[in-house]
Amino acid sequence: MKKNGVKMIKINSKNVDVFYGKKQALFNINLDIEENQVTALIGPSGCGKSTFLRCLNRMNDVIDICRVKGQIIINDFDINDKSCDVVRLREKIGMVFQKPNPFPKTIYENISYGPTIHGMAQSKNEMDEIVETSLKKAALWEEVKDRLHEPGTGLSGGQQQRLCIARAISVKPEVILMDEPCSALDPIATAQIEELIDELKKDHTIIIVTHSMAQAARVSQNTGFFHLGELIEHGSTDKIFKNPENKKTQDYITGRFG
Amino acid sequence: MNLILFTFIVLLGFTSYYFGRRKAYTIQSTNKRLTALPQFYGYYLAIWCAIPAFIIFSLWAIFEPTIVKLLILSDYSNQGYLDDELNLIYEKTKALSRGQFTGEITPFIEASAEKYLSLRSIAQSSKAVIVLSIIIASVAYAYKKISSNSRTREPVEKFLKAVLFTASLAAILTTVGIVFSLIFQTIDFFKVIPLFDFVFGTHWYPAKAFVRDSSEALDPTMYSDTFGAVPIFAGTFFIAFIAMCVAIPIGLMSGIYLAEYASVKVRQYAKPLIEILAGIPTVVYGFFAALTVGPFLKEIGNSMGLDVSAESALAAGGVMGIMIIPFISSLSDDVITSVPQSLRDGSYAMGATKSETIKKVIFPAALPGIVGSILLGVSRAIGETMIVVMASGLAANLTLNPLESTSTITAQIVVILIGDQAFGDPKTQAAFALGMSLFLVTLCLNIVALRVVKKYREKYE
Repeated sequence: MKKNGVKMIKINSKNVDVFYGKKQALFNINLDIEENQVTALIGPSGCGKSTFLRCLNRMNDVIDICRVKGQIIINDFDINDKSCDVVRLREKIGMVFQKPNPFPKTIYENISYGPTIHGMAQSKNEMDEIVETSLKKAALWEEVKDRLHEPGTGLSGGQQQRLCIARAISVKPEVILMDEPCSALDPIATAQIEELIDELKKDHTIIIVTHSMAQAARVSQNTGFFHLGELIEHGSTDKIFKNPENKKTQDYITGRFG
Repeated sequence: MNLILFTFIVLLGFTSYYFGRRKAYTIQSTNKRLTALPQFYGYYLAIWCAIPAFIIFSLWAIFEPTIVKLLILSDYSNQGYLDDELNLIYEKTKALSRGQFTGEITPFIEASAEKYLSLRSIAQSSKAVIVLSIIIASVAYAYKKISSNSRTREPVEKFLKAVLFTASLAAILTTVGIVFSLIFQTIDFFKVIPLFDFVFGTHWYPAKAFVRDSSEALDPTMYSDTFGAVPIFAGTFFIAFIAMCVAIPIGLMSGIYLAEYASVKVRQYAKPLIEILAGIPTVVYGFFAALTVGPFLKEIGNSMGLDVSAESALAAGGVMGIMIIPFISSLSDDVITSVPQSLRDGSYAMGATKSETIKKVIFPAALPGIVGSILLGVSRAIGETMIVVMASGLAANLTLNPLESTSTITAQIVVILIGDQAFGDPKTQAAFALGMSLFLVTLCLNIVALRVVKKYREKYE
């Protein structure tokens, strides 16, 4: 989205290096993410795109041997700074994973989990409302409104993934990170999720890691191409797919390697 | 003699393995393709050696004594002896032949003993001859049969399967046998003592049953108010309850720490250290409870003006709880670790802290497994014997005061069966009735626990 013709930058990463133990996984990544746009990260397996994604909500903290260097600035604030509150950060930056991972709880409890943790609802009515809006936004409401108190693990794969998206948007995050959200789904469920992503970018900034070039072309406005831990090229999806500057990018997109 | 024979057969087995394999190599060297690896030919011959040997040894063990007895007693037939007397004569003969007979030796018995010895030696040598000749014949037959296209792999595999099946059958049959031995004695017990008195009676005083003179006729009325099991059932569950009060919180918390908080290095050392607790013999826990914890509690109680028995339920239950900690901590650690990382990630990504994640996601997900581990702990607590015998007293008090002494099912079984007992006496049979009830309780607990654990496993696979 452009404000007065100027691109609004939501996330600004500068010189990001990531190490797993002694092995360096990311080299000097500088990538700006535009607000209320979908940014796709593509590249062959093991190129570091998921690692970069996990830097953005500090999920790499969970891995003992992982170290992150450099600056990632969101809302004028460096999230790698010691004063950063990870709980608040993750409230602002939601995440959807590769494999649908609903909690073994009811559908309702899956959605109310985040708002409860962050104390966002004062009453049962408010919570009901949050659950309903989140499910509606995730295009799941019609399918589950009569069985909110049945376990979320009983849904189909595509429904589970939309439940996870609803769970992520329940706390009204500014950014949603998606790590190959459709890789475990069939084409119909994939189409539903892609449609949903397009809808969600009105209110959220979305970054999606994907292995499917077609998907990147369909859903994203910007694309970054990673290879061997380096950001080779980034820019508007149109340009990357039609007129890439780098030969490697062209080879990858045309399917010559990867 | 048997040992030498056995060694010889084993050697024969190895030899036939060697010959089988060699024949296979010979066939191979003529550029014919074998249907199995040469080893299988070896195993095949060894099996042809082992099976006949096993069959003959078993048949011999079953029939030799009967036949020898018949031959010995045939000398005494038609002389008007009763069956019991004949048996006695046979036992005397055997004792005399071993040189262990101390009574008056009659010429008849002496003659029988000599006959017995000669029969035995004939039996032994004929056994050796028959076994060896049959083995050699069967191995030779099999050796001849081996050719490039004979099937050896399938019989060998079948044989292995049969051996494994027999092993598990033995374990199952033993269990069934134990249960049956319990059932019959228990039924006898309840013929004398009404089931109602046993289940609802509140006085347990089996020593009273010893007062009876064995020559007197059995009079059921004298046992009323003797075998009321309520106090010991209550004591059992009470002590198990105290034990679980100690074991569940400590075990669970250490399990959670190990699974979620401990670094790889800490876990590497802490887990085996906790499991050492499980390796301490229960008798050691027993004297720890009886000689250290019991008197210590008594002293503390006395200084506070409480009347604490040196053999208190608290001491026994507390130490038993410590014994059970490793079971609960280790099992719940495993269960928590097997909760998929994706659930943790999902929770962290929502901004949950570690303790929130554990409380709201991991613990509920692992709950069935944790309940299973707790039930297994309870069934250990109920079946535990040594600690209770040593530390909680043997008098069956009906009390809910943890500072008094009380007794359990297991401890009472020990009390009843230590020292002299008479079979067919209600006091001895009471032990079987107790054992049966204990068996039923722990069986139910184990079944429920295994069900719960199984259900949990299906969820993530």
